[in-house]
Amino acid sequence: MERRHEAAGIGAIGRLLVLFRCVVSVAFAILAAGFWHLQIDLHPQYLERAGNNHQRQLPLRAPRGVVFDRDGRVMVEDRDALNLSVVREKVDDLDRTIRLLARVTGVAPEGLDAAIERRRREPLHRPIVVIRDASRAQVAAVVARRAELPGVVVEPTLIRSYPGATMAAHSFGYVGEASAAQLAAATGTGLRRGHIVGQSGVELSYNSLLMGIDGTRRVVVDSAEREIDTIGEVPPVAGQRLRLTIDADVQAATEAAFHAAGFDGAAVMLDPRTGEVLALVSLPAYDPNAFARGIDGAALDALTRNRLRPLQNRALQGRYPPGSTFKAAVAVAALEEGVIEPESTVRCNGGGLHYGRYYRCHARHGTVDLEAALEKSCNTYFYELGARLDVDEVHRWATALGLGELSGVDLPYEVQGLVPSRAWKRERRAEPWFPGETISVAIGQGQVAVTPMSLAVMMSTLVNGGQRITPRVLKAFDDGGGWKAAAPGRPARTLHVRPETLAVVKRGLWKAVNGAGTGRRAKIPGRDVLGKTGTAQVISRAGRTAAGAAARALKDHGWFIFAAPAGDPQIAGVVFAEHADHGYLAAPIARHALETYFAKRDGRALPEFPTTPPSPPPGRPAAPAVVDSMVVGGD
Amino acid sequence: MLERRLFRALDWQLVGALAMLTAIGLAMIYSATYDPTSGRVGSEFGRQTVAVAIGFAACAICVAIDYRTLADQWRIAFGALSVLLAYTLLFGDEVGGGRRWIDLGPANLQPSEFARAAVALALAAIYTRSPGWPRPARDWFLGGALVAVPFLLIAQEPDLGTAATLLPVYLVVMVFAGLRLRALAAGAIVALLAAPVVWAYGLEDYQRSRIVSFLTPESDPLEAGYQQIQARITVGAGGLTGRGYLQGTQNRYDFLPAAHNDFIFSVLAEEQGFLGVVFTLCLYLFVILRSLRAAQVARDRTGTYLVVGIMAGFSFQVLYSVAMSAGFAPVKGLTLPLLSYGGSSFIATLMGFGLVLNVGMRRFTN
Repeated sequence: MERRHEAAGIGAIGRLLVLFRCVVSVAFAILAAGFWHLQIDLHPQYLERAGNNHQRQLPLRAPRGVVFDRDGRVMVEDRDALNLSVVREKVDDLDRTIRLLARVTGVAPEGLDAAIERRRREPLHRPIVVIRDASRAQVAAVVARRAELPGVVVEPTLIRSYPGATMAAHSFGYVGEASAAQLAAATGTGLRRGHIVGQSGVELSYNSLLMGIDGTRRVVVDSAEREIDTIGEVPPVAGQRLRLTIDADVQAATEAAFHAAGFDGAAVMLDPRTGEVLALVSLPAYDPNAFARGIDGAALDALTRNRLRPLQNRALQGRYPPGSTFKAAVAVAALEEGVIEPESTVRCNGGGLHYGRYYRCHARHGTVDLEAALEKSCNTYFYELGARLDVDEVHRWATALGLGELSGVDLPYEVQGLVPSRAWKRERRAEPWFPGETISVAIGQGQVAVTPMSLAVMMSTLVNGGQRITPRVLKAFDDGGGWKAAAPGRPARTLHVRPETLAVVKRGLWKAVNGAGTGRRAKIPGRDVLGKTGTAQVISRAGRTAAGAAARALKDHGWFIFAAPAGDPQIAGVVFAEHADHGYLAAPIARHALETYFAKRDGRALPEFPTTPPSPPPGRPAAPAVVDSMVVGGD
Repeated sequence: MLERRLFRALDWQLVGALAMLTAIGLAMIYSATYDPTSGRVGSEFGRQTVAVAIGFAACAICVAIDYRTLADQWRIAFGALSVLLAYTLLFGDEVGGGRRWIDLGPANLQPSEFARAAVALALAAIYTRSPGWPRPARDWFLGGALVAVPFLLIAQEPDLGTAATLLPVYLVVMVFAGLRLRALAAGAIVALLAAPVVWAYGLEDYQRSRIVSFLTPESDPLEAGYQQIQARITVGAGGLTGRGYLQGTQNRYDFLPAAHNDFIFSVLAEEQGFLGVVFTLCLYLFVILRSLRAAQVARDRTGTYLVVGIMAGFSFQVLYSVAMSAGFAPVKGLTLPLLSYGGSSFIATLMGFGLVLNVGMRRFTN
């Protein structure tokens, strides 16, 4: 034995083996400690990361709520549609597949390429939508060629649908994928990229009710993101159903009347007792269906660049000089400030001299009192009121009636009009107010600019006894537990105005339609329509002559504000006929809307709009006699 | 040849531990290649079962022939290894930019796995030849050459990880053969000083990136660092008692690359937890300590050198592979002996233990 280990003695071998064992044992102990650290100390953290690795939550989109008109007719709903998608994992030759798909569906292959390119980095098994809302023919073509188009799948989807196409488009609004700004503003609400949200109209203002609550499906995925198993599902909750105050018949009749008359423009009709919006028109309109299908850049460009601005809601966003419709507000101011009595008269010899300047009227009205001045839209009378009133008094009463203020309607993007005041001029122009300016303000010219909606509010306030109502488009909502009345908006404010004041103004407005006035085209026998025309000057007459007269874009706008019936007004509103040239041409549109409203209320057949425009009021000369605007501050 | 007396002298406890580790390995390979969607297991399980049978048969042969006879014929073993390695380098299957396997039709042979046992045998033989002390310098050179040839051939494949497992074999046998630890320490210092030079000139880009990704795995979570991050998640998710057999989600859903192979221990850690890890580590430690008894009781230096050489390579590979499976060491294509999928690895390991058992069994024979 002692000869066995010559090089290193047996003792040395033994010591080395002890060292070997110790080193190995210590190394194992260190490893075990390392595993303890990972598996015991850090276990919760790594367990969570392992969970994140293989579990995904897929959203189950909630259908948006259905929108009805006041009678329960469907205005907006989600419609079942089919998308054509490509699952790249199952496609051998992507180029060939796209070319074939483009050929059989009749679309440009570039669009399909772009759709796939945008989502190139997503997992290969995930379908990429290449044709949204495919037509029946497209789906049939793809199904017929299933063998040649492996990896092209037909996927059911929901698409927002507006059966009335452009009808009331600005009230309903449209939907689209949430923008970056919307996502940023909605942090914490669960709104995520790709969600469809309202972008305008009711779709936007009541988006939170309409959206519903998305459900989720928890799935197990493997490292290639392939879904292997479903481990849980929370079903989506559909969005709430909304019932609007809009009356689809009145709305459609008003739009039809605009089309028949050949005007763009805006109209607002309210129930003056409640503020319910019966119709809200803005023309030209757009088709919200185009947005729902996923509008492409070129089409959106065309809409935004269109010089007629179809995306603008003229009823809430258009600001125009109110012209003679403003006289109703000036009349209230004059009576309430005590600068005239109802019986006060002014002599109209075709104009009036104020502050060393002669302001013209459009006719010689002789001696007129307030009622007659409203009836005939006598400028001379209101020049005199403008001379007697301070601009701040006009401002106070016009504002109280709703002009130059936001109506507070439950629709987005309303803009504020302008009724000038001394403070405004000091602030904006750094100039004092010149009394002469009040003369033009008194007939609704000068710096006055109002929205159609605010004029509708003014008219409602004049005829409902001085209650400043807040217009509403939402009548009721159904959160799953039956219909509930919508919460009232801002409560009506009572104007401190004498009943006689409103009575005098109403009589004047009655005469304007039923007497020898400018609004006779809105007269409906037995309905006691109140009204007032107005002309919003686009360019001074001299300027128009210089520009070559007939250019459509230079024609004046026509206004007509109205309410009916006089005794107990149930409908009040405004028609704004863009470039109609004359206020009285807006009146027939209002008349048609009113006739439709009353026919419907009485259960009679709805009227047709007269195909031939009615001739000018009999017994009066044509245009010049009724052009009631005035060159002010002259050039 | 195999007398009854010898058969009884066989270290059955060691054989039992090896069998247990083999069984654990098969179970883990089954789990790692099980497809939860189809409910079927990969072909790897069947192939490994065959390899296990061959491995134990090869082990029996290595036990049956007296190790002294084998040591006398070390030239044949070493020569065969060198030829196979050279052949692999020239004609091997090219996979992923390297040539590491020889295609044998139904199976592949990875000759580098046999290098440790062959080198241990050769070193044991030559260091026994010249008895005296101090050992003549040519012994060190010859030993170095015997290691250098397979090392360079394997590194050339390239498979630096497997080549590196030859170094512990070499170093440990040298120490047992008389090299002073002081000299070894001096060598280590020189190696440490040389490291920056090697880093700059001696390593390929992919090797550098592996080391960089080891040091900062989150910097490159999709490429080189991915395996390491996933390995840690897999191990950490296991907790104390594990997620249950076939229930590890990291394993089931393929988040762990090479799960049945280099990262088999991660699968074990995920599904059997810390308790399973400790149990398996104890088995490995038992195997190593038990094997080293054979070195102690060996009747000659050849036996001692052979056993410590084999066990040095085995210990190093086990420690490194387990450390790597938890993300404690840079990722290298290194199998975990006895557990990992891989026929060559298993057979070579079992042949090595055949030699160990051989030495222990013949401690009383002349």
